[in-house]
Amino acid sequence: MTEYWRWKETRWHDEDRDWRDGELITAGVDVGSVSSQAVVMVDGELYAFSNMRTGSDSPESARKAMDWAIEGTGLTLDDVGFVVGTGYGRVNVPFSDKAITEIACHARGANYMYGPSVRTVLDMGGQDCKVIRCDERGKVGAFVMNDKCAAGTGRGMEVFADLLAIPIEEVGELSLQVEEEPPPVSCTCVVFAKSEATALLREGWPKSKVLAAYCSAMAHRVVTLLEQVGIEEDFAITGGIAKNIGIVSRLEGEIGIKALPAKFDTQIAGGVGGALFAQSLLKKKLGAN
Amino acid sequence: MFEQLRDWERNRHEYAKAWKERTGGKVLGYFCTYVPEEILHAAGVLPVRILGSHEPQDVTEPHIFGMFCPFCRDCLAQGLKGRYDYLDGIMIAQSCLHIRQAYTSWEKHRPREFSYYLCMPHHVQSRRALPFLTGELVQFKAAVEQWTGVTITDDDLDGAIDVYNENRRLMHAVYELRKTENPPLTGEEAMEMVIASQMTDKAEHNEELKRVLSELPKRQDGRQTGVRLMIIGSEDDDTEFINMVESCGATFVVDEHCTGTRYFWNEVEPRQNRLEAIAARYIERVPCPSKDWVERTRIRHILELAREWKVDGAVVMQQKFCDPHEIDTPAVRKALENEGIKTLFLEFDVTVPVGQFKVRVEAFLEMFAEEDLFD
Repeated sequence: MTEYWRWKETRWHDEDRDWRDGELITAGVDVGSVSSQAVVMVDGELYAFSNMRTGSDSPESARKAMDWAIEGTGLTLDDVGFVVGTGYGRVNVPFSDKAITEIACHARGANYMYGPSVRTVLDMGGQDCKVIRCDERGKVGAFVMNDKCAAGTGRGMEVFADLLAIPIEEVGELSLQVEEEPPPVSCTCVVFAKSEATALLREGWPKSKVLAAYCSAMAHRVVTLLEQVGIEEDFAITGGIAKNIGIVSRLEGEIGIKALPAKFDTQIAGGVGGALFAQSLLKKKLGAN
Repeated sequence: MFEQLRDWERNRHEYAKAWKERTGGKVLGYFCTYVPEEILHAAGVLPVRILGSHEPQDVTEPHIFGMFCPFCRDCLAQGLKGRYDYLDGIMIAQSCLHIRQAYTSWEKHRPREFSYYLCMPHHVQSRRALPFLTGELVQFKAAVEQWTGVTITDDDLDGAIDVYNENRRLMHAVYELRKTENPPLTGEEAMEMVIASQMTDKAEHNEELKRVLSELPKRQDGRQTGVRLMIIGSEDDDTEFINMVESCGATFVVDEHCTGTRYFWNEVEPRQNRLEAIAARYIERVPCPSKDWVERTRIRHILELAREWKVDGAVVMQQKFCDPHEIDTPAVRKALENEGIKTLFLEFDVTVPVGQFKVRVEAFLEMFAEEDLFD
């Protein structure tokens, strides 16, 4: 059976550099509810990362992500001077030196990935959404998170990809192939929205139209979250949903602000922030000794 | 040091049952801190506050809407489950409609020998509130006398006022110690102390407070204070939440809750007419937001507390669907933020999702210490 929800796991490392030339090697490991990332930085520059699905066991997911990130680089865990764990499994990263919340990590990660002009970060994760306001160093000024519910998040999108038998990477593009924007589904609760979508399909709606209705409902829900904190430009989106053009473009349309273009895999922001905090902490540690 | 107070807080039902057995007196459960307990105490009645138990329950659904606040549903559940069956009476002083619904449903489904609705005025800022409430208290006193068969004299009222005022002064004295750089008690202990006072005979509570106060200033437990926090909001007896926050590198040094300062902040000032003196105390006390209008007087009080207790940040919480607090929350947060005090807003339910709250709390605390995480 085709697993339409299954998004592509990725890894990358900088083949033009040798980590042995660097001084400070640090890592950030972000164990989220749906995906896990390990990010290795050498002297504050991105060197390697992996992005994979979180398994049922958080310590194991952290270890696997780390192993995959450093695969083929000759780097071992012992060479990494400081590791920060983040994400909902942040206290379950067995080899981490410190746990820091994904809120702080996403702000600092976005600051690196999108530049210091970022003031508002929207992280659309696997099972939650958060809006973070930050300064030019990526330091958190205010934040808000959604409550108790997975609507408007990656897991909800996975359920829809499966229901409509559309590979998840194509969902966003397909949702834009409608002549006229349909009214959004009225339920953003994943379970109820799924039954609503089933009813729409039975009424003869094409899949693109159903997806359009769902994407716009998700975008709208996130906008209400953004409005709670207020949006200051520049604006950046992190997390898996940032890859979904169907949601991003609707969101941008509603708030009248364009999100900064992504130069990196948007899912690694938490890991990047973690690795940068790890670097600052390593410097302090070395300075103190 | 706080073992006895904690024991009373945790084993409130056992305490009340033992008290009844020991004294042969009557126990009355009350739903809101606007109930003038002095009058009950003067008649030899033990007033105990009805609070929830923070367990998921399925007994209130037929009686009270799901969009009523979780606290009033949790309270009603205790009655419907028979956990307060030792009560001889129940009463409420009008505050919000949600908790009144819990009271009326309790009255219907778990009737006691005495039940009283005290019409506490809403518009406490009106000049007419004091004569109005004084009149209501005359009726209330007569009802208590009829129920208990006790005639309440001025001497009885003076005695009760003394005991209650002493209790308020002693709790103030404990709170004073929290102003220090390293408070000798946690916010959890302070909350347990105040809740225990709502569950026990105040004279007994006073003796325990005196004992605690004789040792407390010397207490050295090596605990790091961390970020100095204040907690503000609706009814809150969630000691587990307080404990979680205080285990993340912070200490609650003061609060603005009806399970905290709002309950005991004001004393009864003596007047020739004792009932008028008691009425004045409840009219002039730090108000519940359901009564704090036209002017929002509470905000001034909150800012004073924040300043005097040198607060760095504030957790502003409310029970989900608590309309009076919902209306005040934006103004409270704005006032604090204007003073440079960061705020974290949380909505409480019967059970608190600890994991979800923990990430918010940790991220909030990181905002104070984040400088250490940068170059």
